[in-house]
Amino acid sequence: MLMKRQIPLLIVIVVGLITLFGHFIANEGVQNFVDNDSTQWYDIIASFAIFLGGLNLLKLQLLKIYKKQKNWQYSILAVVGFFFAITVGFFFRGANTISVTGINAEKVEQAAEMIAEETGESTSSILSSISDPSADYELQKIYKTHGGAEDFSQKLEAYGETQIEPIEWGAHLSATRGETGSLFNWMFVYIFTPLSATMFALLAFFVASASYRAFRIRNFEATLLLVAGIILMLGRVPIGEYIPAWLIGVFFVMGLGALLAPFIKNRKITLGIVAIGSLIFLIIGFTNGWNPAIPGFFHLPVMQEWIFQVPTTAGARAIMIGIGLGIVGTSFRIIIGIERSFLGEQ
Amino acid sequence: MNKNALIMIGIGLVVIILYLLGVGSLFREGNEPMFVAVIVVSLTILYYTNRAKRGEEIYLRPIAGLVALEEAVGRATEMGKSVLFVPGIQDMDQVETVCGLVILGYVASMTAKYEAGLNVPVARSIVMEAARETCKESYLKAGRPDQYYDDMVHYLTDDQFAYAAGVNGIMIREKPAACFYQGKFYAESLILAETGNSIGAIQIAGTGSPAQIPFFVTACDYTLIGEEFFTASAYLSKKPELLGSIKGQDIVKLIGMVLMILVFALNGFNQAGWIDFDITEFITSR
Amino acid sequence: MKQFLNIIIKLGSIDRRYIFILVGLSVLIPLIRPIDIPIRATSQSQDVFNALDALTPNSKVLVSFEYGPSTKPEIHPMSMGILRKLFSDGHKVYATALWPDGIFMSVEALNQTEEEFSLEYGVDYVNLGFRPGNEAVVKGVAADIRTLYTSDTRGNHIDDISMMDGINNINDFDFVFSLSAGYPGTKEWVQYACDPHDIPMSTGCTSIQVTEVLPYVEAGQVKGILAGMPGAAEFEKLVNIPGEATGMMAAQSFAHLVIVAFIIFGNITYFLKRRSDKKNLGEK
Repeated sequence: MLMKRQIPLLIVIVVGLITLFGHFIANEGVQNFVDNDSTQWYDIIASFAIFLGGLNLLKLQLLKIYKKQKNWQYSILAVVGFFFAITVGFFFRGANTISVTGINAEKVEQAAEMIAEETGESTSSILSSISDPSADYELQKIYKTHGGAEDFSQKLEAYGETQIEPIEWGAHLSATRGETGSLFNWMFVYIFTPLSATMFALLAFFVASASYRAFRIRNFEATLLLVAGIILMLGRVPIGEYIPAWLIGVFFVMGLGALLAPFIKNRKITLGIVAIGSLIFLIIGFTNGWNPAIPGFFHLPVMQEWIFQVPTTAGARAIMIGIGLGIVGTSFRIIIGIERSFLGEQ
Repeated sequence: MNKNALIMIGIGLVVIILYLLGVGSLFREGNEPMFVAVIVVSLTILYYTNRAKRGEEIYLRPIAGLVALEEAVGRATEMGKSVLFVPGIQDMDQVETVCGLVILGYVASMTAKYEAGLNVPVARSIVMEAARETCKESYLKAGRPDQYYDDMVHYLTDDQFAYAAGVNGIMIREKPAACFYQGKFYAESLILAETGNSIGAIQIAGTGSPAQIPFFVTACDYTLIGEEFFTASAYLSKKPELLGSIKGQDIVKLIGMVLMILVFALNGFNQAGWIDFDITEFITSR
Repeated sequence: MKQFLNIIIKLGSIDRRYIFILVGLSVLIPLIRPIDIPIRATSQSQDVFNALDALTPNSKVLVSFEYGPSTKPEIHPMSMGILRKLFSDGHKVYATALWPDGIFMSVEALNQTEEEFSLEYGVDYVNLGFRPGNEAVVKGVAADIRTLYTSDTRGNHIDDISMMDGINNINDFDFVFSLSAGYPGTKEWVQYACDPHDIPMSTGCTSIQVTEVLPYVEAGQVKGILAGMPGAAEFEKLVNIPGEATGMMAAQSFAHLVIVAFIIFGNITYFLKRRSDKKNLGEK
């Protein structure tokens, strides 16, 4: 119990207090601990903990295949993906470069033409780069496999001495220029990027189905949500510019009529309000040559901006302050040791 | 005003005076308003925690989302289906994740009691270890340690959308009857909640991510909005000291509201040229 | 008529996959057959442009890449627009990444702009790359950038890069621009670096994030905001270099129109269903 409860709790309390008050203490050591060391310690622990997660993932997927559980075929894909990523990260660099030295002075032009054909550069630029044929010249092309580099290297040997060299370990994971030929980079660009973008793009479809289901005129609040939602959706995109403000005004009057209807017994009065209101907006439209941006306060992009800047910001602020207080309260409870449920205590 | 309140105020004043005396030598300059805020918040929460400990009754309004947790687990049990718990996509350094695990502990004790299956896919290895510890403890306390197995909490991936894809896959294949999303979420929130909705699961979400709240409200049956989510621990455990701290938190909020009005008024007077004192300059910590 | 109404009511409980198909088509068709839609900048995008425009030539601007491949379609056009504006105005760009995959994004964007503007690495721009630690990195940039970054992405030592002379912490930058898709991102730059040190900053973020960042914009802590793809298109319009986002606006406009049409249709069927349910109840 001492190792599982008291000591972890002591660490939480001491480190928590140092981090909190470290913000105020004018001591470089404390400052350094708060700003750098503590977070770096966490990163180091989290980095090593990835092994636990990775092994757990692998174990579960392999067990699924071994026991031929339902949909076990997908697990093969997961395991293959797992080992492929590890291989291209730790064991197979790819990204081979070819360099050529001691090019026969008489054959420089022919060599340049051949290289140009391979790399897609212009012959003249290659010629200017090989000003000294005896010096090393590195081709501006990176080969994913050693075999691919070897094929061209053998052809190039007719003009000079060639050498194939893979890029440094570690550099193959980097995105900087020159290392784009690594297999890791290929995996990132052609597998990871489209898959990630696809998942994010799903959001558009889910937004559509969620709004179709949720935006219903059930009560006043739901109606308000619906109206604000539509204004934002249309006002946010350029097409909102084309929806005339006077037309929005007419819709507004109709909406107002619908809201007032339950309170006004005489339907003729309601109809009169709607008719007069609509007429006013139509006159405004007509007198301004049906200008879609007049009257300005009913222009969708303007309304959208107002909704964003005033009610949305006000609501977001209130929620953020509440969340901030919640975080402060929870953190304080943890620091003083009254909140221990994260240690498994209830 | 009672004696304890006076003692707290006294302590606060002494600490603040000592701090102000040490500014420049022992303490950093420019953080004075922040320090005063920390002391006021800490002492207020502490004061109400002590009051609750001494036996003062604290009322916490019913939070539908938390009440519905048991109902959702019960429904899953009746249907013979599992319960899915997603503790967010961030690590243990986020308070939301800690709160998520607190709720997980409660859900795990329910699944242990009702003998329902529990599936907790996680996106961080440290969260996996912490969640396992939480579940193990809950099953032990519920008297069903035999039902607990480590792999009910399992790791998927650190990557946001790969994790969302993995959880969606679990939902589509296993069709859990109840889905809980409690923790820190980003754009994957709607992807998860809509998939959960499509399989007809009862869904309860809780998050401190303001931008994700509308998505959860739209697609889930219950949503713990912001502060509600952070009160879960106190609400579920009913421990007096935790309940007291929630009241303290509310009093801090009240103080904040009063200060806002005060700042608004003083700033208005300053802008109108009635007073020279610029309150915004004073409270902005540099 | 009754039959027709029944069909409408039945269509109301349409399978969501049909909605997906229509939304997909509304995006796809304008992409295949582009339609030119004039774009008007909102005040928030205009604020971003004005803030950048007010910088004196040769200003030192820190551009932080906090997005990955998933949000690339939404944020990358902003990166291009911002970099084009900065380079065409003759500013020095210092790129950093708070996300590990942000480095891939920064390299791609900087390589493209290097070709467009014939830039010289180490003179016009430098890519400092990714450092792990989330907000700790932001704090590190604010306190001592040279301890945090000892070399750039190309392996050059920081002392060997002429652009880095005199750059020690956030106070040595004239402006910060955060291209953000989540955590860590814009909020962390405001809270730990720019606001405490009074360095002007601006942001471009995903549409989802906008509500979270808006309070900082309205408080003046962030100078304007490029909100999602429309924000990127508006900025392209402001810098007068049409890019990817401008071309996407027709697709986004039509997708929004389709969603609104579905919402309206959903409400009509909801009303009809409610009325017919009431009628049935009355008949019983």
